[in-house]
Formats: sequence, C-alpha cells, structure tokens
Amino acid sequence: MPAEFDTTVRLALYREFVRTASPPTAETLAKCTQASIAEVRAALERLAAGKAIVLQPESREVLMANPLCAVPTPFQVRTQGRSYFGSCVWDGLGIMAMLGGDSLLDTSCACCGEAMTIGAREGHLVPASGVIHFAVPAKRWWKNIVFS
Amino acid sequence: MLLFRGEEHIETWRTQWNQPRGAALTIDQAWRLADAWYGDKMDPGWRRATVDETEALLTKLGLTGPFWSLRA
Repeated sequence: MPAEFDTTVRLALYREFVRTASPPTAETLAKCTQASIAEVRAALERLAAGKAIVLQPESREVLMANPLCAVPTPFQVRTQGRSYFGSCVWDGLGIMAMLGGDSLLDTSCACCGEAMTIGAREGHLVPASGVIHFAVPAKRWWKNIVFS
Repeated sequence: MLLFRGEEHIETWRTQWNQPRGAALTIDQAWRLADAWYGDKMDPGWRRATVDETEALLTKLGLTGPFWSLRA
C-alpha cells in the first residue's frame, strides 16, 4: 500500500508543480490525494529516502522534484506560458526534455556572466554553443545533491 | 553542473575558484543525458534506475572512465 500511495503522491506532486509552475505544499498534496497531511508527509519522506525527490532541510517541503526546483536559480526554463527553475543547467535541460514542446532555457556563463539561451523546438534541442562542466564525479552526486 | 561559453571559460573559472577539473560535455551530449534521465520522470511507471542501468546509459552516451563510474 505505501508504494502505491507514494506513486500517487509523486504523480500529484509533478502534475501540480507543472500545472502551477510552483511546488505544491504537503497540504495541497493532501487535498489532491484525499489523504491526511501526515500521510503525505510520510510519503514525501519515503520518496526522498529513495532519492526520487529532495526535501527542504527544516520545513520538509519539496526542494527538488528533479528536474524541477522549488526555489529560484540561474537556470530558468520558459515553456507553454509558464516558467520553471532547474537546480543546474542539466536539470534545466531535463525540464525541457520532460515537458517537450517549445522551450527556452535562460542562463549565463558561470565564468563571465554573459547571457546564454538554449532552445528546444517540438521537444528537440536547437543546436547551441557552449560547454557544460560536471565538477563532481557521478558516484558522489547524491552525497550532497544540493551542491552537485 | 554549470554552463560555460567555452573550454577557456571553464579553466578561468576553475582557477579563480580553485576547483578541480571535472568532465566537460557538449550541450548536445548533456541534452541526450537529460532526455534519457528525466524524459520519463512524470510517467506513472517511472522508477529510479539501478546502478547497472545507469552505467549502461552512461556508456551508451560515451561517458566512460573513472569520473563516470558509479562503483565505490
């Protein structure tokens, strides 16, 4: 039963996040799933323990429903009349890939600050110049996912 | 994971902030990785990939070597 409910909460989380371009609270998810806030919070903790999402350290509300990030970052994706934030450029690309359609990622060079935009059309990348640097080796990404 | 205008910008940033050299991907490579990683994230049947599955994906995208290894 918990696994099935966790899937229900996960799908509601993503659906509401995408629909509103804002992270739903545990209270909102409780309404969406017709469950108690305590049940939703327990599901969110299990999803976080399984590395499906990341919760904020104190409030335990959603920080990342990867690739979506709950707080503003320098990686903003505009698509379908809404805008979303990714935690890094890779997550920005992930938002574009996950949502499909036409989209734009507005960001800047991490070195000099020059504005850079990456676009996708009908779910396909529009060729763009630039290089993406992964500083943390893959096996250490989840040791500190906020830093990675 | 940060975006740079070119390799020389990575080196300037790395030197300025005393950061180790990691791995540099083209935007196309990163797009293919992001698409494979996140493309199905909203699907009801999504599940976290196993280490074997993730390694197979990285290898398929040409991301091999110690930096991309998932084993301790």
